[in-house]
Amino acid sequence: MPSDPFKFKQAKEISRKDILLSVAREPDTGRLFVGSSDSSVHVVDLAAEKAEPVALEGHSGYVTGVAIAGTFVVSGAYDGKLIWRDRKTLKAERTHKAHDKWIRAVEASPDGKLIASVADDMVCRVWEVASGKMKYELRGHELMTPSHFHSMLYACAFSTDGAFLATGDKVGHIVVWDLASGKPIKTVESTGMYTWDPRARIHSIGGIRSLAFSPDNSVLAVGGMGKVGNIDHLEGKARLELFDWRAEKSTKFVEGDKCKGLITKLAFHPKGDWLVGAGGDSKGSLIFFDTVAGKTLREDTVPMHVHRFVTSESADRLYLVGHNKISIWELSA
Amino acid sequence: MNEKKQFCGSADHGVTRRAFLSRVGVGTALLGTSGAVHTFAEEGLTRALKASGKRVILLWLAGGASQLETWDPKPGRPTGGPFAEIPTSVPGVHICELMPEMAKRMKDIAVIRSLNSRNADHGGGAVLMMRGRADEPTVKYPDLGAILSKELGRADSKVPEYISLYTAAEGRDFSRVSSGFLGARFNPMKLSESMTPPNMKRLDSISDADHHSRAELQELMNRQFIAGRELPSTKSHANAYARVHGLMSSEQLFDISHESESVKQMYGPTLFGQQAMMARRMVEAGVPFVRVARAWWDSHGQNFETHQEMVPELDRVMAALMDDLKQRGMQNDVVVVAMGEFGRTPTINSSLGRDHFGSAWSVAMFGGNLKRGVVHGKTDKDGKEVAEGQVGAGEIFATILEAAGIRHDKEYHVGARPIPLVNPGIKPIKEVLA
Repeated sequence: MPSDPFKFKQAKEISRKDILLSVAREPDTGRLFVGSSDSSVHVVDLAAEKAEPVALEGHSGYVTGVAIAGTFVVSGAYDGKLIWRDRKTLKAERTHKAHDKWIRAVEASPDGKLIASVADDMVCRVWEVASGKMKYELRGHELMTPSHFHSMLYACAFSTDGAFLATGDKVGHIVVWDLASGKPIKTVESTGMYTWDPRARIHSIGGIRSLAFSPDNSVLAVGGMGKVGNIDHLEGKARLELFDWRAEKSTKFVEGDKCKGLITKLAFHPKGDWLVGAGGDSKGSLIFFDTVAGKTLREDTVPMHVHRFVTSESADRLYLVGHNKISIWELSA
Repeated sequence: MNEKKQFCGSADHGVTRRAFLSRVGVGTALLGTSGAVHTFAEEGLTRALKASGKRVILLWLAGGASQLETWDPKPGRPTGGPFAEIPTSVPGVHICELMPEMAKRMKDIAVIRSLNSRNADHGGGAVLMMRGRADEPTVKYPDLGAILSKELGRADSKVPEYISLYTAAEGRDFSRVSSGFLGARFNPMKLSESMTPPNMKRLDSISDADHHSRAELQELMNRQFIAGRELPSTKSHANAYARVHGLMSSEQLFDISHESESVKQMYGPTLFGQQAMMARRMVEAGVPFVRVARAWWDSHGQNFETHQEMVPELDRVMAALMDDLKQRGMQNDVVVVAMGEFGRTPTINSSLGRDHFGSAWSVAMFGGNLKRGVVHGKTDKDGKEVAEGQVGAGEIFATILEAAGIRHDKEYHVGARPIPLVNPGIKPIKEVLA
């Protein structure tokens, strides 16, 4: 069914006591694998009459990354570990202490052969899914901010052809890596996503929280929050910036009129006509952006701050996870 | 006297005599020249300080740091947040993983985990923690710094007795320092715009020789005037001038460039680190009370990101202070306290933030007459309530006084009315006092 951002309605909501920080969706079964603040990955079978999540233990920190890769579902957490589980048996087949600090995101390459993990050690590690061997250790982000505080490496994304990987950090530095060589090939800066307050509060907020390549890989979309006056709150405007990354050039940025806070996840429609970002402040928000016309299509609120989402293959459904909820939305007529 | 006349006849000073003395009294703006009195660089000053009394450095965690991300972690609980706990040098005591340096030094620290201050408002909480109690309609109580400067300051002191460094803009108005009924004499020197008092430097248009001549002339006239006039006001006048001369000669006190590279490295490159290093210089020079405000911890959104940024800095700065004081043999003379106006809620809000919370939070302190390696009180498994050893702001106040060698049950008098330093019935926390 064709997806339409203007046919946007909630299909299902599942309340939870925990905070849901990451999600992956199994295409063949439709099961969701949801990373939680309770240190577990919860398997949610939406096809079942009553969706009773099954908890998969093994981490000892917030589970901030889950990815479907080949026959595995791989999770990463603030404990610095990556766990490979067999999708059928759900048994842990492999565990790596992958990072010294919090893992912020785990992404799978489109062919499911590689996994990338980014963490606050400011390193992106690329892993061969089948063997579990580390293929690359990508170092292109400063450990400290210019103000002498620890930086954070929040986001990564594979290009749709699997040739490139983008990583983005707290101060707005983005590196695009060539996965044939493991070398950085382009860098862009999205400094509007980072607010350092040197006068009133003397700390910072923001950062690159989401990245996505367009289907033709010509555009790199970057999500976060615009400049903030009072950094005690997520009161900045949701911010989306588009780059012609090959030219290392910003081509467009938009900030939400209604949507405040972070854009924590971005996804393009398979045709590339529009993209959607989700996140929020104390409330949840969605922003749809027309990439052809270069303007915001619509902004909406959703019932909870969204930490991550996935789309169905045709992008006619959004599976949002966040503060105490799983929320499923339809975009079809 | 003509108010418009310059006190020394120099238009460069640009201030009247009355205004000058008024400012001396409140200890704020200073006139700048270099003076002849060099109190700071005296040999053996530290030794003399040790004989004379205690000093206090208050690390004011303005905006309210989270007890869960510092001294009272609850890992694995729904309220616990994402940080792990780590063991410390005191068996059985664990603190947040963001404080590895404090964990190593826990054997020298006293932590109170059971503070119920009953106030989760920035302004009200700050006044309460700084004064140990709320004001009465007719009595404005002095804050910790004012009492300590009165009790520990020396009559012949050539340095300020109460300094408050609060250079961040946020929350400065909430946490007003006040000498209350003790009067302007015990108000702090506030450093809010920079780490150096304004107008400290001698004006280029006045030579050093001129300045010395003027100071000598002023002193001569003063002596002659005082002779045969043993009045409090004349003494006060002379003392005020003496203090200002001391302050004017304290330029080095505010110049941290004299510190060795190894000491600078200990404190780190941030403003908070530099100000803590300056606080050490001040107590070493005889300043009884220095408050260093580190703002702003008010993490309603992104609490964990904020604490991940700020707690390692606090950890480093506290460790540096402890080591630095120890290396100078001052660990028993200086009390260091880390607290703010309240803690933060165990409940994590939808912005991954924590809100204001005064019901069950923590204060840490070391040095002076405090026990080493002790934890007083505990909270429940989720950190929502005090489970054992509940104390209030008054008990914390009384404990700091005793740690600095001041009896908490001492009384002042406002007119004929006796006013104790803490409210009747308030006791120090004996479990943390040596």
